Amino acid sequence: MTPKWRTWLLAGLALAVIVGAIYLPILRRRMKLAAKLQQQTAEQARRELTQTIPVNPGEPLVKAKLFWASGNGDGMLTNGTVDLPLSSDPVLRSKQVLNTLLAGPADTDLRTLPPDTVLLAFYLLPDGTAIADFSEALATETPSGIQSEQMAVDSITRTLEANVPRVQRLKILIHGQEVETLAGHLDLTGTFLVNTNGMQVAPPTAAPTATPTTSPGADKPAGPATNQPAQTPAPATKPGAGTLTPDKVTGKLAQPERKPQVI
Amino acid sequence: MRESEIVLDFAAQVRKALESQGFQVVQTRQGDENPSFDDRSAVANAQSGAVFVTLHVASTGLPGTVRVYVNSDLPVATDVGGLIPWERAQTPFQELSRKLGDLVQGLLAQRFKGSPSTAQTAAVRQLRTTAAPAIAVEISSVVIEDRADLERMAPGVADAIAMGVATFRPSYVVPTPAGGTP
Repeated sequence: MTPKWRTWLLAGLALAVIVGAIYLPILRRRMKLAAKLQQQTAEQARRELTQTIPVNPGEPLVKAKLFWASGNGDGMLTNGTVDLPLSSDPVLRSKQVLNTLLAGPADTDLRTLPPDTVLLAFYLLPDGTAIADFSEALATETPSGIQSEQMAVDSITRTLEANVPRVQRLKILIHGQEVETLAGHLDLTGTFLVNTNGMQVAPPTAAPTATPTTSPGADKPAGPATNQPAQTPAPATKPGAGTLTPDKVTGKLAQPERKPQVI
Repeated sequence: MRESEIVLDFAAQVRKALESQGFQVVQTRQGDENPSFDDRSAVANAQSGAVFVTLHVASTGLPGTVRVYVNSDLPVATDVGGLIPWERAQTPFQELSRKLGDLVQGLLAQRFKGSPSTAQTAAVRQLRTTAAPAIAVEISSVVIEDRADLERMAPGVADAIAMGVATFRPSYVVPTPAGGTP
């Protein structure tokens, strides 16, 4: 190879390296974008297949209020409005708003629920207790943590509260089953109050004959989930195990004789 | 980063801070074991005059902030025989838990900017079956790339918890059976 050709070859290689260095980051960005779009399309397709959002074109468009993350990372929710032909039937209406909530806001960072979550079923009992059955993705893909789990449930309850007055409280099931927590922290064994701001839970009672729930704001007994026997026998409630805690604490209050222990 | 490992590191510092205040500390786990909620509550409920602190490192939230949670108000239940069901063991302690939570959260807010000034309420499963003033402390967040950033928070968190418990102590009165011996 003559020196002239060697020079041309080296120059060509150098040019190829420079072009590659410039083009590669652009290519990477485009690939990421394409992957994201593909993912969204797959999610959309899955949702369209699994969810039939009941829409009655004859219903007037209503500004539905949906609650998503504020985006500040502070665990707060903010409401946005979406024009929906909301049904007058509370069950259909609930399905409409929850499916819209699951579809998520335009800004995916404001999501409170995992994109793969599907609302499998929704029931409303005569006493105002709603039962929402979600796919497993809600439990497996919600980020683990008290704040994130609470945001997920709060966005559901507040969206129902704002749009479906008939729903008084909500029981959440995962794939038809009662689960202990959403993603390791938030208690799903009870019901969540829907008709007040914030979140309350009525835990299961020890026996079906126990006193009905008297949560603040709840004027009716809680749903069936609260009347189920405890899943795990409690050590302190075993015969002969002694009193865990007295029912009434109006009697003597005593200073502990020793320093408190910290668990 | 594994939450369980980081939490153990935090727990070790919290233990040290509490012991330096003269408190006896019982941990519900020492290593990688994962006791059930009821197992942990059983350990706590077997103690007398205890407070319960459960530590968590979240995967969300403003990095560098710490939040304290107390259990949502549980409905008061009357059970035959004057016993509170295990499922609602926290019920008689809710007020004390709120007081302890606010104290600790106030101290954390001084140390970690962006943290709330008062304790928040949530249906935390672990707290519901705990028969003692009980709080959950959640640190943000496990998604911090440099673990050292989280580790730097540990002394401040430990100090705030220990000081909060020490401040809380004089107001801690143990509910006893009506007419029973303290």
